[in-house]
Amino acid sequence: MAPNSRKIIICGLGGQGVIFLTRLLARAAVDSGHPVMVSETHGMSQRGGSVISHLKIGGNQAPLIQPGTADALLSLDPDEAVRNLHYLSPGAAAFVNAHSEPPPDIRPHLERLDIRLHCLPANRIALELGNVAVANVVLAGFASRHPALGLSSDDLRRALHTNAKRNLELNLKALERGVGGSRE
Amino acid sequence: MNNHIEILLGNEAIGLGLVEQGCRVVTGYPGTPSSEILAGVIKHKKRLGREVYTEWSTNEKVAFEVALAASWTGLRAAVTMKQVGLNVAADPLFSAAYTGVKGGFLVIAADDPGPYSSQTEQDSRLMALNAKVPVFDPATPDEARQMVAHALSLSERYGTPVILRPTTRLCHALQSLPLPPANGNGHHPDPPRIRFRKDPPRWAATPKFRNLLHKELNQKLRDIEAEFAASPLNFVQYPEADSRIGVIASGVAYHTTLQALEQLGAQLPVLKIGTPYPLPRALVSEFASRFDTVVVIEEPDACIELQVPSGVTLRGRGDGTVPGAGELAPEAVYRALAQVLHPHGPTPPPPRDAQLSELIQSLPLPARPPRLCPGCGHRSAFFAMKRSFGPRAIYPGDIGCYTLGTNLRAVDTFVDMGASITMAHGFYQANRLVGDSRPIVAAIGDSTFLHSGVSALINAVHTGARFVLVILDNHTTAMTGFQPTAASDLLADGEHAPRKVSLEKLVRACGVEFVEVTDPYQQETFVQVLKAAHQFTRSPDGGVAVIIANRPCVLYDPTPVREHPIPVVITEECDGCRYCLEAFECPALVLAPDSSRVDVNYEICIECGQCIDACYKGFILAAT
Repeated sequence: MAPNSRKIIICGLGGQGVIFLTRLLARAAVDSGHPVMVSETHGMSQRGGSVISHLKIGGNQAPLIQPGTADALLSLDPDEAVRNLHYLSPGAAAFVNAHSEPPPDIRPHLERLDIRLHCLPANRIALELGNVAVANVVLAGFASRHPALGLSSDDLRRALHTNAKRNLELNLKALERGVGGSRE
Repeated sequence: MNNHIEILLGNEAIGLGLVEQGCRVVTGYPGTPSSEILAGVIKHKKRLGREVYTEWSTNEKVAFEVALAASWTGLRAAVTMKQVGLNVAADPLFSAAYTGVKGGFLVIAADDPGPYSSQTEQDSRLMALNAKVPVFDPATPDEARQMVAHALSLSERYGTPVILRPTTRLCHALQSLPLPPANGNGHHPDPPRIRFRKDPPRWAATPKFRNLLHKELNQKLRDIEAEFAASPLNFVQYPEADSRIGVIASGVAYHTTLQALEQLGAQLPVLKIGTPYPLPRALVSEFASRFDTVVVIEEPDACIELQVPSGVTLRGRGDGTVPGAGELAPEAVYRALAQVLHPHGPTPPPPRDAQLSELIQSLPLPARPPRLCPGCGHRSAFFAMKRSFGPRAIYPGDIGCYTLGTNLRAVDTFVDMGASITMAHGFYQANRLVGDSRPIVAAIGDSTFLHSGVSALINAVHTGARFVLVILDNHTTAMTGFQPTAASDLLADGEHAPRKVSLEKLVRACGVEFVEVTDPYQQETFVQVLKAAHQFTRSPDGGVAVIIANRPCVLYDPTPVREHPIPVVITEECDGCRYCLEAFECPALVLAPDSSRVDVNYEICIECGQCIDACYKGFILAAT
């Protein structure tokens, strides 16, 4: 596998901005010179249901990621994170918008598979910034500190200038707060 | 950093292709996963400054014929729809295959393996085979855009309609693509001297001439099959790989196949088919002759597999190697190929961790089916229907957001577009014969009513059926992304509609004598109107009673709710009886973690105040 290739799962609930977050990461990857292929959830499942995007950076043109092979997972909802953990490969990382730790039964499996779970209360941070809708960007900033994402905070900042023109200042603040993170 | 690399949705890439290739008339009816194609046409015609007539038609048959006429003048034209829409447009499709076309004519029918947002997993490539229309099967957004050019050229050279068949995963894929600059030229020009030229033996062919046209069509298909054998869209990946097994794959499943082979550490020659019908059989035979076994990976059904010449040992849907239902997700393809590669077992397990997967399956994660949005007027209408007629009444439903009325148990059936009215009619006639007098209360959306409800209503009125019909008028085609209807102020490209159709006048013109337009947010009034409608169906001179539930979609037009917000509180007395959760089913009403009471999730509540009526004990109150 090419060193620059990445497979990333982005999930959450309809209305949380999973598609915005996916397109932000895709834009950042393309601006860094990598081809992308993404699969999004549209239609009926968007009405408040589980939403999942598959993002492939680096040339793989199959739209879906095979379970057990993803490098990273970003989830805007803790339950949706657990639902999709089986997508991760051993040694991968998950970034979850959550106050609390995952169900205790999961922990030994994650340790066995060397999957690292990083939690951040992104909703709370976004509310402090005045709009819960930017929790997705907070989470993106948080994940950019980790090499599993393969995208730096600078990459994301540049992509925000393209993808979030209407509310740029708030989104940039959200990104910085995410990069700042907490309890690591 | 390259400014010219754009990230395009598959549907947008198709729309861009249509504009680039000089399509001058593009029509469609929205339906997941096809809905964003026409939006792509509109975006890029504006960006590139091309004059393209676009419309959201009242249904797929209408859309097909409007675009077909444009093709018969000599202009390039296209029509977009989802796979079940092609059923609605099947009549002109089969006929146009015989008459042929003049300007390039592309029918885009998007399939939905899974299915994710459809009533069937039907394969439009088999519809193409049945109708004798060539079909292209793209694997990526990039290839779909290129295939638009191939398909329109083929259509024009042979004078035949051509189908482009993307699937959900392509329609809703995003891919990085180089985008031509807005000031570029080189797009396909109109042919000279475009005029509709009369040719009765073709454009008005009677059965005698239809026989001749059928022979002509058969010859076209033979010639096209020969052309496809040399097409760059059909090629072998890894031709040098040394193997006794070969693979034939098409569409999105082609790349899923390559991914699965990589996971399995196997290199097999893969014949990628971009033109499944007419299948270039000589090419396939030549490829297959090199192997003991050939696996066919395609979805959602067997089209290539059916056409492979005899004498080849095939593994695929026919022998159950490939599952007969459901999407060809990576693991399904992996398992199919693993079986063929390891015939004597054991087959290598897929990469995901089995123990972790099992544990996740066993956890009590919340089921998250799609639900009507907070504040949705459909919910208010359904709630009033249930209050008025109870659980025994029969509730025929239809296709749209309001299919989710099943969650409130206010939708008992749905079949296809417009079937709420025909099923209500059929239930009435059947129930009359067996003495079943339960109320029948049907619900249909505004766009669906205009699509295929009108002819059903006329039929019901004329034959004396008696039932209540609620037209849920939310002013848009909401489920598919707010496309305008014939009752809208706007046209597809945002221009002002010269005229709009009045649903009320239309229903009266159908012969309905009880017609009331009521806002379902006015719950008490709405219940009174439902009861009056029911009485009309039972009165001596009664018949079908129609209520137009007039309330705009809260996502499409949130203004009315924002102007009159009614924030609510749930009192301390709430005992957690769950009546409101089950009967009203608003996502903003949630059971407290200890199940002792219901709380409002103020993050998603839009302050419509509709749930006040949902607690018969009076514990939900307007906040003061």
